[in-house]
Amino acid sequence: MTPNMDIFPQLVANSIVSGAIYAVLVLGFNLIFSTAKFIDIGYGVMVVVGGYAGFYFMKMLGLSLWVGVPLAVLLSGVLSLAVYKVVYAPLRARKASSSVLLIASLGVLTFIQAIVAILFTSQFQTLANLLPGNPTLEFFGGTMTAIQLVTLAIAVVLSLALFLLLRFSMFGKALIAVSDDEEVAKMVGINTEKNIGFVFFIAGCIGGLAGLLIGFDTGIEPTMGLLWLLSVISASIVGGIGNLYGGIAGAFLVAFIENFGIWKVSGEWRLAIAFTVLLLFLIWKPKGLFPR
Amino acid sequence: MEPDTQGSGAGMAKTITWLVVLLLIVGGFVAYGGKAGTKKVEEKTPIKIGVLLPLTGDAASYAEGARNIYKIAVDEINAMGGIKGQPLELIIEDAKCNGKDATSAAQKLVSVDKVQLILGGFCSGESIAATPIATEAKVALFSPGSSSPDLTGISPYFFRNYPSDASQGRVLADVLYTDKGFKKVALIQEQTDYALGVYKAFSARFEELGGTIVKEEVTTASSDFRSQLTKLKASKSDAFFIDTQTPAMSERIFKQVQDLKWKPMIVINDATGGDVTLIATYKDLLEGGITAEFSSDPNNAKFAKLLVDYKTQFGADMPYQAYGQTEYDAVYLIKDAIEAVGYNGEKIAAWSRIVKDWEGASGKITIGENGDRIGGHTVEVIKAGKKEVYVK
Repeated sequence: MTPNMDIFPQLVANSIVSGAIYAVLVLGFNLIFSTAKFIDIGYGVMVVVGGYAGFYFMKMLGLSLWVGVPLAVLLSGVLSLAVYKVVYAPLRARKASSSVLLIASLGVLTFIQAIVAILFTSQFQTLANLLPGNPTLEFFGGTMTAIQLVTLAIAVVLSLALFLLLRFSMFGKALIAVSDDEEVAKMVGINTEKNIGFVFFIAGCIGGLAGLLIGFDTGIEPTMGLLWLLSVISASIVGGIGNLYGGIAGAFLVAFIENFGIWKVSGEWRLAIAFTVLLLFLIWKPKGLFPR
Repeated sequence: MEPDTQGSGAGMAKTITWLVVLLLIVGGFVAYGGKAGTKKVEEKTPIKIGVLLPLTGDAASYAEGARNIYKIAVDEINAMGGIKGQPLELIIEDAKCNGKDATSAAQKLVSVDKVQLILGGFCSGESIAATPIATEAKVALFSPGSSSPDLTGISPYFFRNYPSDASQGRVLADVLYTDKGFKKVALIQEQTDYALGVYKAFSARFEELGGTIVKEEVTTASSDFRSQLTKLKASKSDAFFIDTQTPAMSERIFKQVQDLKWKPMIVINDATGGDVTLIATYKDLLEGGITAEFSSDPNNAKFAKLLVDYKTQFGADMPYQAYGQTEYDAVYLIKDAIEAVGYNGEKIAAWSRIVKDWEGASGKITIGENGDRIGGHTVEVIKAGKKEVYVK
């Protein structure tokens, strides 16, 4: 087909929409990576947990958005913390290598994903009809829905909030110390165990929130965790793994590449294009755009 | 393991433990084997039929209805004394609407359960994958729902009482090009065997007539089609054909079409067209849209009874009625086949080819030499969230 210029604004809008959700997700992912120092695949399943918790609280129990959303976010956070305490903390205490932790986290993803599928079946579910209304708005020839704008706003607010938390709170300073050198942090009296637990809680909440946003925008299935995680890992690597703000840049870059990559070629190439870029980065710029 | 340093005492204990385990195993075999043996004498052994259904995943909504309908038919047959006194028993396996899982499920049915006949698959991808296994084992594979043209004549062991999509693609292309005068159609195709079959049949006819198709493909796992839809919207086509495997996938696409403020004239295949709830939900978007279904006849006595029985037993309207009618008939065809030639896969498959004007809930069934049901799809138009037979 002949590509034409008038789809340009819409492609920009589409890229911003997917970039926003990647950005939210990559914040949680990098938070874990920078402190616990391993690729936590289990983080992907928190997206599923958040989405399905929302589905359970709001669709099955009929709770309102104002109750259901915080409950679902909180539940994902608590579960993420529990996974840390039960699985990762003992492994880390035994000085397990980061590849052992990675495999363990893959187990966590598979395990929780299977439980979600048993409880809720693997049927695709959408939370879209829970919204009181989701008007489509037009900007410079592109369209975005209200929930997509909310997602974008959340990405911005969340980045700012994390920035302030890390920069100005005692917890943030402790985290920076842990992330620089965990042993030294311990020696100067930082309770690293407690701080990392808190990181898992926050990351779980962020993952759960992303799951809800995905549910409101498109929909959820138990197996979606790994797919989202793959994009997030790409975004994180492109931006500089473990670098919170680099990750955000990576998220939008990956989103733009995915959406613009198929401008002139057919859409089935989308993933192939996205992962080619990832491979190029791994080969020529393995530390990403903004190395830590 | 710890090295054995405790001497012969521990060694002895170990030997005894193993002896006990051995005794339990052998004893168990004797005891339970014996029980099974006596049971055989008391009641007739059931005839075990394998079933492949997409119990989980996007296509699971089809499986729920199918399972209920199979249950209605099997209960009816067993209440009337089964097949020559033997009750029918269904062994249902999850084929997940994909070739990989259908293969392992079919293998299990053939080698573990030793069935002679498999009812299924439902999705075309399931049937295409299960056919070589059934053929190899000389087991009959009977699908009441797979409609891909690629299954036509695929194996002497495969047959179906649901017509091929060759007819679906053709009638849709004819109506769109000849009646509506559409020259250019945008099409999104899910990467599954069924959707591919519909696309092939549709494009062959539409392009033969002189039309052009702008096509995008999506994987079953994807949920963000915005940029692909953006391109299709920009192609300024006369109609938009949503060729998906499941209503769940179509729903994701419908929603994003709305998000883009796109109001195309929509064409859907029979897999989505069969979902009356979805069509009612998206009635504004689908107004004036077109679908083709293997239609059902509400005046058919068997079909009417099935609708009532379904509602009384399961408290809901029968979903996907075009498939429901053939699923119900399939169980009775199996009964007739076994009564005619015995429970033998090879003979049942051969018998299927001589089925002619068999009266069922889905009308008169005739199965051709290539294993396909003779018959076709009817074009329907969507008005106010309901389907009506299309008239020019």
